[in-house]
Amino acid sequence: MQAKFNKTALLVLLITSFMCACQKEEYVIPDPVSDLTNDCIKRTIGPNIVSLPIEFAYAMGIPKSKGKLVSAQVEASIAGATGTYLEHRSFYTNTSGVDVPVTVGNPSSNDGKSTRMTFTVDTTAATLRYFYVIPEEARGQSVTFTFSATSSNGQTVSYKMGPYVIAKMSIKKNIAVSNGNLAYISVENMAAYNAAEAAANAGKIDLVYLYRATPASFTHALVSPAAEGSYLPGVTLPSGVNRNSKVRKVFNLQDRNLANLQFGIYVDDKDLQEVDLTDAPNYALGLRAEAGTWVETADRKYRAYIFVNSVNANGSAVISMLRYAL
Amino acid sequence: MKRFQQILLAAITIAFISFGCSKDTPIDEDGLLITERQECFVSNFELLGADFITVRAAIPVIDTTAQTIDVTVLFGTDLKNVYPQFTLATDCKLEPKVTGRTDFSDLANPKKYTVVSGNRKIRKEYTVKIKFQ
Repeated sequence: MQAKFNKTALLVLLITSFMCACQKEEYVIPDPVSDLTNDCIKRTIGPNIVSLPIEFAYAMGIPKSKGKLVSAQVEASIAGATGTYLEHRSFYTNTSGVDVPVTVGNPSSNDGKSTRMTFTVDTTAATLRYFYVIPEEARGQSVTFTFSATSSNGQTVSYKMGPYVIAKMSIKKNIAVSNGNLAYISVENMAAYNAAEAAANAGKIDLVYLYRATPASFTHALVSPAAEGSYLPGVTLPSGVNRNSKVRKVFNLQDRNLANLQFGIYVDDKDLQEVDLTDAPNYALGLRAEAGTWVETADRKYRAYIFVNSVNANGSAVISMLRYAL
Repeated sequence: MKRFQQILLAAITIAFISFGCSKDTPIDEDGLLITERQECFVSNFELLGADFITVRAAIPVIDTTAQTIDVTVLFGTDLKNVYPQFTLATDCKLEPKVTGRTDFSDLANPKKYTVVSGNRKIRKEYTVKIKFQ
């Protein structure tokens, strides 16, 4: 009887403890900023490709009673390419959702790895965009950034970002190709040539672009020079153009950097490293806008992803390319 | 009292054993339900290219009597890297399984697939014959 009573009492005690132990925490208002502070976010996503920018938003602020902002600076571990700059305008988003710029300083200046901007208006808070154009020297390397700001009361703050790995692949956008004209494509040079130029670069021509209305499934095509004649109807190849590239059609792979469409898909180094084209054919017919092809050159020196931006019924197209050196 | 509790426990146990076991529902080696259905046929066939777009130039001709599937594919189709898709009668399964890219390029030796009925007692072998547009 006593044992049963003890067990019951213990159970009641446990239940009561659980019910009373959980307390709602009161919301505590965080302490306001009392000194110069900063914060930073990286706005660009996807692989970091040479010649494309990495964008940051760097925010800094100081209480009005303490002073005002004097300067902002970014130092990269590898100097940025031409076009690297720190925005001299601060942005705010209006009620319509539009980012509105407000000029707050002189245009920035680059000095080696540093980019610096000086405020020319009295401001105690600003968010500046930083655009780092990835240089060739950074290919395959890691890059770090140190953002810093100074205020009129002598304070300095800094914020480190990175490291970010820079892709090994290269990008070339909006290459115009046309039937019987700029029809000879070089993956190595990431360019399209006419017949005369192709003859001069015969060893580098990997694909032939052609358009045929019949059969109905042919239309826009990328064909290796060494493909069967039925896949190059009416084409007389320039002298020496005879490489045998592997080509595999893809659809629904609208790489954001190539297509600039609403899709958030990215082709990265790893995709080009691991794609298996062992048994791929040497032609791709029936290409349409937003189609793509994986390509491997005959000498296995390069792999590429070629995206078809647009096609025209007159026998032309615009393509963009990501190329990876194996 | 104690004897009453023992009898009650035994009764509850017997009740669970009697009603807890559901009707017999055998499954095969693939974990699929074996039913009583005898239907065994292919109702549709699709062939996708490496870009997962159809490479058929026309609706496939499925002869249930001759157990053949005649498919016309587009000019230039790479038959070494295509994805076949079979639509089967209810509860049927296919052997061998389609696991990914399939090589249909040997036109002289067309591929054969066996459809197994829902009751696993009827097997019909279909031949997929491909020709170019």
